[in-house]
Amino acid sequence: MAGMEIDTVENLQRKQSTYQSLDETFEIQNETYRGQQYSQIYFARLHMMRTLLYSLVTHWKPHVPVCTVLGLEEGRECIIVGTLYKHMKLKPCILDEYSKERSAVPLVKHHNFMHPDDHLVLEDESGRVKLGGTVLSPSVYVTGVVVALHGKETGAGDFMVLDVLEAGLAPQIEPQLKSREDKYVVFISGVSAGSSLSNPLQFQLLVDHITGHLGDEKEQGIAAEIVHVVIAGNSVEIPLGLLNGQNLASKDQSRLSEPVQELDILLTQIAAGVPVDIMPGSNDPANFSLPQQPLNRWLFPGSRAYNTFRSCTNPHCFELDGVRILGTSGQNIDDLKKYSEGRDGLEFMERTLKWRHLAPTTPNTLGCYPFTDRDPFLIESCPHVYFVGNQDKYGTRILKGAEGQLVRLISIPKFCNTGMVVVFTTTKLRSQTSF
Amino acid sequence: MATTPSNMKGFYRLKKNKSGITKPTSSKKSSLHLVPSLGSDITQLTALISHGSPDLKDYHDNHEELMRQFDMNMAYGPCLGMSRLARWERAQRLGLNPPIGFEGLLKAEKVRSECWWDGRI
Repeated sequence: MAGMEIDTVENLQRKQSTYQSLDETFEIQNETYRGQQYSQIYFARLHMMRTLLYSLVTHWKPHVPVCTVLGLEEGRECIIVGTLYKHMKLKPCILDEYSKERSAVPLVKHHNFMHPDDHLVLEDESGRVKLGGTVLSPSVYVTGVVVALHGKETGAGDFMVLDVLEAGLAPQIEPQLKSREDKYVVFISGVSAGSSLSNPLQFQLLVDHITGHLGDEKEQGIAAEIVHVVIAGNSVEIPLGLLNGQNLASKDQSRLSEPVQELDILLTQIAAGVPVDIMPGSNDPANFSLPQQPLNRWLFPGSRAYNTFRSCTNPHCFELDGVRILGTSGQNIDDLKKYSEGRDGLEFMERTLKWRHLAPTTPNTLGCYPFTDRDPFLIESCPHVYFVGNQDKYGTRILKGAEGQLVRLISIPKFCNTGMVVVFTTTKLRSQTSF
Repeated sequence: MATTPSNMKGFYRLKKNKSGITKPTSSKKSSLHLVPSLGSDITQLTALISHGSPDLKDYHDNHEELMRQFDMNMAYGPCLGMSRLARWERAQRLGLNPPIGFEGLLKAEKVRSECWWDGRI
């Protein structure tokens, strides 16, 4: 044995970073369903946002009185705060199935339900009022956003909007960057193991790169600087034909579990080398309504042996070396795309941050748990990085807030379609793609 | 017409029947010590009687009346689907300053734990 020559390459040590999970607010542990309706979550949302907006309104327009919807007087300029409701002609309604004449409603487009006749209504506990004027564009706003409006009531009973105040970006804590060395976080989403689109070799290539089995020393050195991997949803795709509610033949039962087993094999390899967070997505075997609860650890018998493997909620929030990272698997932005208009996914992301609410369309058009005492999607502290998974293409931008907040917005493309992952540098708040 | 005019008065009733839902008499009102509330007093009292017999023992309690006021108050949010204590705690947590005495009443179980509408809707 002594005669053997051993390569004198040093073992590269992977960099470490401190991790703290902030998912507690998204976990449904102590909630019990007692027959409540969604009015409770809307009340919690309105109350929290209204308290905040009232404090902002005093700096915005100090001389204009604030009143409730019921207290509006014709011709008197005032400020009202409430939840927006967008009346949409083309929004699918369960009652349409029962209405006698169906020809009046045109064919519904799958991707977007907007119509030029959509109008906005503001609602608080005392009442609702239709909004008029050109300041507030129905194509931008969706049901569930809480805003302050300056305007006056017209003779027709509408509220003519002169100006609008959104909550704006939440206060941000300065990241305490301890070291100046580069550390990378890899974001993947839409792996879709088990689908016809996914190529297992592609994912294996990625795993090899992350774990340092690829490339020369320089490449391995870069891989050693990856401190965290986040898998943002839609990691498996279970063949839909098997989920029709009928009893499965024994040969089909193995087909049902194959995608998850395939994913577990690859996840085990990642978890062996680097901390990995896996979030559920719309296609994953987790609950449907937001906030999605962590995927059951028993789905991953191989990976769960490692303490680096973490099954997380969707939305997911954590702090890495003092950098606050918040993101979802895409359902919130995809729903906004259906009910409003925007340039690209990043613009919708920017709006959710400015409205201080991750998913304003819950529970109206996006499923959500009927919380009674809080709305977990309210953004109390502005993150440094905001990511959304399962998007069509990669995009990134830095968003600047009114109080000097800086947020890196990242739109993660689907891995099965594009083969792209996003690599984010924590020290410089910079992101790039990696094929 | 076979009947003679003198029989008309007996044929057609000129006064309303006294049976069925009636407005409460004034004597009942004074014993209730009603406080001004958001809803109409009359409709709430007829709701008491519409069950068949007046549930006097449960709902004429002063404490219960106070709790009903708490349920109906819009400032604390919707009352359906939550227990009164949970709603009180939520109001406390949101900084709405609900009356402190209510917590004691609810925990000592001197009043119903569910809201006024529970079981009625």
